[in-house]
Amino acid sequence: MPALAILRHELRSLWSGWLVRLWLAGTAVLTLLVVAGNWQQLPTAPLIGALHFQYLFFPWVLVVMVLGVMPVTGQRVEAVADGLLSRPVTRYEFLLASWAARVLTVCAVYLAVMVPAVVLVSLADRPVREDRVTLFGVVTALGVVGVVLTFLTSLGFLLGTVMRKPLVPLVILVFLWYPINMIMNVYSLEEISPLSLNRSMATLLRKPPPWAEGDSAEEAEASDAGLSNWTARFVQVLGEAEGPQKREERPFFDSGEFEDFSLGRVLLGYGLPTLAALVLATVCFCYRDL
Amino acid sequence: MKLAIRTEHLTKIYAGRVIAVNDMNLVVPRGVTYGLLGPNGAGKTTTLRILLGLQRPTAGRAEVFGRPCGPNATEVRRLIGYLPTHPRLPGNLRPVEYLDLLGQLYRIPAEVRKPRLSSLLRAVGLLGATDQKIGTFSTGMCTRLGIAASLVGDPPLLLWDEPTAGLDPTARRFTLDLIRRLGKDRTVVVATHILSDIDQICDHVGVMHEGRMIFSGSMQDMKRRLRGDDFCLQLDGPDEGLRAVVAAANQLDGVGASLRDGRTLVVQVHQRQSRATALGEVLRLVDQVGLSLQAVHSGQNETEDAYLQLLQEDQAHGFQRFELGTGPAVDAGPGDPPA
Repeated sequence: MPALAILRHELRSLWSGWLVRLWLAGTAVLTLLVVAGNWQQLPTAPLIGALHFQYLFFPWVLVVMVLGVMPVTGQRVEAVADGLLSRPVTRYEFLLASWAARVLTVCAVYLAVMVPAVVLVSLADRPVREDRVTLFGVVTALGVVGVVLTFLTSLGFLLGTVMRKPLVPLVILVFLWYPINMIMNVYSLEEISPLSLNRSMATLLRKPPPWAEGDSAEEAEASDAGLSNWTARFVQVLGEAEGPQKREERPFFDSGEFEDFSLGRVLLGYGLPTLAALVLATVCFCYRDL
Repeated sequence: MKLAIRTEHLTKIYAGRVIAVNDMNLVVPRGVTYGLLGPNGAGKTTTLRILLGLQRPTAGRAEVFGRPCGPNATEVRRLIGYLPTHPRLPGNLRPVEYLDLLGQLYRIPAEVRKPRLSSLLRAVGLLGATDQKIGTFSTGMCTRLGIAASLVGDPPLLLWDEPTAGLDPTARRFTLDLIRRLGKDRTVVVATHILSDIDQICDHVGVMHEGRMIFSGSMQDMKRRLRGDDFCLQLDGPDEGLRAVVAAANQLDGVGASLRDGRTLVVQVHQRQSRATALGEVLRLVDQVGLSLQAVHSGQNETEDAYLQLLQEDQAHGFQRFELGTGPAVDAGPGDPPA
C-alpha cells in the first residue's frame, strides 16, 4: 500500500510538472513533422524507424535521463527524506515506486504519441513502395523501444542516486553515453547501442512471428536502405564526417547488416543492465545518509 | 523506568571529517516532554535523523521503544511523528491530499483515515485552506500542516525539530499550547535552541554541546543545581530606598539580596530556608521602605543561566571531557548533576 501510494503520488507529480507536459507536446509536434516530411518518401518500416530516432538517440533521450535523475538528487532529497522516508516506508518501496513512476511516464508518453503515428503510417494509403510490416514486428519494436527507454531511465536513476547534484549525472550521461553509443554503432551492436537498434528497426518491423518465419525477408531488404541512410545522414551532420555525395556508397549502411538481429539478445542487452542499474541504485540509496 | 528513546555511545562523523554527534548517551523516559537543547550545530537534528533512520550512525546504537533504528525500520517510524524544521512539503498537492498520502503510508484504512484528516486540519486551523495548494502556504501554515502530518499516524512519540522557528507570536503560542496538550498522553521531544520554549513546555531537558550530551534530567534539577532558589523583584522608587531594602534583606536569616540593573532586586534563598517565608519578609521590607513593586519573577532567567553555565562548564573542562565521556555518568540522570 505505501509503495502504491508513492507511485500514485510520483505519477501525479510528474504529470503536473512542466517537463513531462512540454515533452509530450514536443514529441507530438516532432512526430508530426517527421511523418509529414517523409510521407511521400520513406516506406513504412524506415519511416517508423525514423520516428523512433527521437527516442533512441536525440533529443528525447536527454529528457528521459533527466526524468531518471530527478527523484533523489539536489533539494528533492530533503523533501523526500522529510516528507516520505521519515514515515513508515522502506527505502526499497520508495525507490521502486519512484522508478516505476518514471518508467511508466516515459513509456506512456512514448506510446501515446507513437502508437497513433505507427497506425497512421502503416494503414494510410501513401504514394510510396509497398512495405510489408508485420503486426508482430510493430508490437515487438514498440516493446523493444520501451525496454530501451526503461534502460535509459534506470541509467539516469542509478547515477542520480549515486551523485548528490543533479547536473553531474546529466553531464556524465551525455558525455559518456553518446560516445559509447556512437562507438557501438560502428560495430552494429544493436544489443547495447540504441542508434544501431534504430538502424535495425526496419528489419525488426518486417520480422514475421516465429511461428510463420521464412516468407518476407528478401522483399524488404531494399527499403531498409531508406532508414539507414536517414540515420546515417543525421550522424554525419553531427560529426561532419564526410560530404553528402559519398553517403550512398558506404557499405556500412547496407540493410543486410542486421540480418542476424536477435530479439532475445537485444532484450538481454538492455534488460540485464536495467536490472543491474536498479539493484545498484537500491544498494547505493540504502547506504546513503539523507 | 520505561524508555521511549535510548542511545548508547551514538556517534556520527560525516565523511570522516565533521563530528556531528560524539559518543552520546541519551535516555528519554516515556510520557515526558523532553527538550533537546543546544546551540546551532550541536547535533540535535542529526540525532533526530538517526532515530528516524534517515542517517546511519558511525558508531553506537539507537533504540525507540526498545526497537533498533535504521533505514528500513518501518516499525520504529510508525511510532514516531516527525516535524522537521521548516518542513518541505509537496507544493503541487492540497492539504487533504498530502495528509491522505501520509495516511496511506501509515497503512491507515480509508474509513479511519478520512475522518482523521479533517479533524487534524481543524485542530491545526487549516480547515479554511483545504482548497489551496500547499505551494501557496506561508511558513506558519506549512508548520501547521507539518504538525498535522506528524500526527496522522497517531504516534506515541513526537520528534519536533524547532517547531517554533520562523513563526509569528500567535502561531508560536498555538504550537506551544499544542505541545503542552499533546505531552499529556505521549512522549514529545522538542529540539530547539529557544530557551523560553523549553521553559514553558518541557519537564525534562537534555543539553547538547558539540555533539555531546552535557546534561540530561528534569527541568527542576537543571535549575536547582545551578542557581538555587532565586526571586527577582522589579521595584520602583528612590535609590536610597532600594539600597535600604538590600541592606535589610541581607540581615534576614538565610537570605541574600543584591541589586541588578539598578531596579531589580535579586533575592537568593538558601536551601534550609522556606521560600515563602523569605519572600514574605522581603515583600514586607519593600512595603515598609515605600517602594513600588512592579513584578515578581521566580527564576526568570534560570534556564538561560543554567544553560549558559552548562556550556561554559563544558568548555572549561577541556581535556577532562574525554575522561568524562568514558564512563556511564556522561549524562546526568534526574537530580544527578555532572561533575
